[in-house]
Amino acid sequence: MALTRINIGPVHPSTHGVARLVVDLDGDTIVKIEPHIGYLHRGVEKLVETRMYMQSPPYMEKIDYVAPMAMDELYVATVEKALGIDVSEKAGYARMILLELQRIASHLFWIGSVTNDLGQSFTGFMWGFRDRDIILRLLEDATGQRMFYVNMRLGGITREFPKDFEENTIKTLAYLEKRMKEYENFIEKNPIFIQRMKGVGVLSIDDAINLGVTGHVLRACGVKYDVRKNNPYYNYETLNFHPKILSDGDNLSRYRVRIMEIEESIRIIRDSFYKLQSAHGNMVGMPVKLVSPKPVNKIAMVSREAPRGEAMMYLVCDDQKPYRLSIRSPTFINLAALNHIAKGHRLADLFSIFATLDMVMADVDR
Amino acid sequence: MLIDNLTGYFYSGLNSPNILVSILFVIIYAIIISILMSVFAYVFGWVERKMIAKTQYRHGPTYVGKYGIFQNLADFIKLLSKEKMVPGNADRFLLNVAPVLLVSITVFIIFLIPFSPYLQASNLGLGLLVIFVFLGFTPLLLFVAGYSSGGKFAELGAQRSVLMLISYEIPMIIVVATVGFAAGSYNLNSIIRMQSTLPYAILMPIGLIIFFIAMLAELERPPFDLREADSELIAGWLTDISAPYYALALMLDYTRMFMGSLIIAILFFAGWSGPILPGIFWLIIKAFIISVFIIIVRVTVVRMRIDKILKLGWMYLLPLSLINLLLTLIIVIL
Repeated sequence: MALTRINIGPVHPSTHGVARLVVDLDGDTIVKIEPHIGYLHRGVEKLVETRMYMQSPPYMEKIDYVAPMAMDELYVATVEKALGIDVSEKAGYARMILLELQRIASHLFWIGSVTNDLGQSFTGFMWGFRDRDIILRLLEDATGQRMFYVNMRLGGITREFPKDFEENTIKTLAYLEKRMKEYENFIEKNPIFIQRMKGVGVLSIDDAINLGVTGHVLRACGVKYDVRKNNPYYNYETLNFHPKILSDGDNLSRYRVRIMEIEESIRIIRDSFYKLQSAHGNMVGMPVKLVSPKPVNKIAMVSREAPRGEAMMYLVCDDQKPYRLSIRSPTFINLAALNHIAKGHRLADLFSIFATLDMVMADVDR
Repeated sequence: MLIDNLTGYFYSGLNSPNILVSILFVIIYAIIISILMSVFAYVFGWVERKMIAKTQYRHGPTYVGKYGIFQNLADFIKLLSKEKMVPGNADRFLLNVAPVLLVSITVFIIFLIPFSPYLQASNLGLGLLVIFVFLGFTPLLLFVAGYSSGGKFAELGAQRSVLMLISYEIPMIIVVATVGFAAGSYNLNSIIRMQSTLPYAILMPIGLIIFFIAMLAELERPPFDLREADSELIAGWLTDISAPYYALALMLDYTRMFMGSLIIAILFFAGWSGPILPGIFWLIIKAFIISVFIIIVRVTVVRMRIDKILKLGWMYLLPLSLINLLLTLIIVIL
C-alpha cells in the first residue's frame, strides 16, 4: 500500500504550540515521523549577548513558559557561578521552595494536556488548571507576579517571603494531596485510559540512554538519574528524598512517575520550610545593577533538574556581558526520541506519546 | 385530557380516508415534529454546554440571554454569515449533498417514531427494521462526506468510521432482533405496549448496555468520536466543511442524539407509556435523561483507539449480545 504523508501542525490542536510533524502513514500505522522545529525561534542565545548579565532573566523566563522560574533560576545560577557569588543557606531553601512549587504547577498543567490529547473534552484540562492556579497564587504571593516572576537576584531572591506564606503553602499542599487522590480516581482508574497508555510508546533503557532523554522519560525507563540527587545543588542533599523510578518505559510509567514526583515535591517543600526556620544567611540577593562584579570564572556551566528534564546552561564570559550562552533545553532532546518511540504505532498513539514526552515548543526552539 | 383529545383528533385526521385531508395532516405533523426536534436539539445544545461547564468548574455561556440560553443561536447566526469555502480538490456536489441527506435521514427516522398512542405518522408493521435500515445509511453518507472533501484528515476519519461500522453494527442488530423476539413484533407500538408491565431495561439489562454502547458508536459520541477526534484529526470530516454546512453538521449532532435517545427510550424504557402525563411528555422526559447520560460519558472518558473498538465489538459485545438473546428467549418461552 502506498504511504500517505500527512502534515500535522504547526496549527493543530494537540501539537502543544507550533510543532510540525510530517508523518508517513501506512494505512493507520506510522512509518516515519519527521519533526520540523523553529516556528517559535526567538534567538534567545544571541539576544543575551547584547545585554548586561542581569538584563537577561526576563528573556530566560520565556524559554519555557510553563515553568518560567526554572529557566530564570538556571540562568541566574550560571551567572552566579561565573561571577563567584555564593548563595546563602536560607536563600537556597527559599529557591528550592519556589522551584518545587513551580514544578508542581508545571506537572499539573501537563496532566491536563495529556488527558486532553487523549480526547477527554477538556475535563482533566480544566481540573489541572484549577489546581495549578492555586499554586500560581502562592507564587504570586511570594514574588508579586503570576507567571513571569523575574524573582531571582544574584545571591538570593527579590524579597523575603510574606508572613503568612508558609501557613498558606502548607494548607494548599494538604488540599493538593486530597486532589491527587481525586485525579487517581478520575484518570488512572479509568480502564480506557489504561488501555490507551499501558504498553504504548515503550522506550528501552539502552535506547533512552543513547538518545539522551532526561527527566521523567528517563526515570520511567528505570534509570535512576535526577540532577537533584546525582549532582545536588542548593540544599537538596540535606533533605531525605528519593527520585521516583519505574521500569516499563511506556506512557503509563511516564504518567505515574510525574504523579509521584508531585507527591515528592510536596514532601520537599514541607521539609524545606522546616529547615528554613533554622537556616543562616540572607534571603534577599543583590539589587539589580547594570554593572556587576568582574567574572571570576571565564567559563561556567550549571545543570538543573527542570520540570521537563535536565536543563543546562554553558556561559562564556566577556567583561560585563555574556560572550556566548548555550542552552541545553530538555524538551529539544526528548523530541528527538519521538520518531524512535512512535514508529510502528497507530496514528492515535502518536498524540498520546507526544503528550507524555511533554513538549513545550518554546523550550525546543528557544 | 385535552392533549389526548387533540392527538386523537389528529390520529383520525392522519388516517383519514380522504387522501387530501391525510396529506394536509401529514404536512402539519411534519411541521410539528420538525419544531419539536429543533427545540430539543437547541435546548440540548445549551444543556450540554452548561453541564460540561459545571463538571469542569467553569460557568459556560453566560452573556447572550439569561444564563446564555441564546449563545447557540448567536453561534448559528455567526456561522451562517461566514464565507463558504470549498477546497480545490473536493467533490463539490457530494460535499454539498451529504450533510443535507444526513439531516433528511435523521428527520425521516424521527418521523417514524410514535410520540404517543395517537401522535404518529405511521404504524408500520416492521417499523423497527425500517428505522435500522435507514440508520445503516448514515455511516456511509458520513464516509462519502469525508472522502468528498478531499482532505487527508477527513479521509483518515472516513476510513476509521468504516472500520468502526463493522464492530458495532452486528451486536446492535442482534439486540434489536432480541427485542423483536421478546415483543413478538417489530411494530414499535406493540413493542411499547408489551413493556407496560415490565420494561425491557429490566428484562434484558445486558442488552441495554450493549445497545447503549453501540448507540454511542453510531452517534459518534465520545469515547467513539474517532471520526471527529479533535485532538488527532482536527475535526475529521468537518475539517474542510465551512459556514452553513458546518452549522448544519453541528445541528445534526444534536438531532442525531435526540434520535438515538428516542430509540433507546422506546426499545428499553417503554416509550410513551407512563402514568398521568400524556405520552409525548413521557417519551421526551425519557429521551432527555438518556441524553444526559450520553453527556456524562462524554466528559469523563478518554477516546478509544480503533483496534480496541474492534476488539470490544467482536470479543465482548458480540458474544454478550448472543448470550442476551439466549437468556431472553429462555425467559420469554418459560
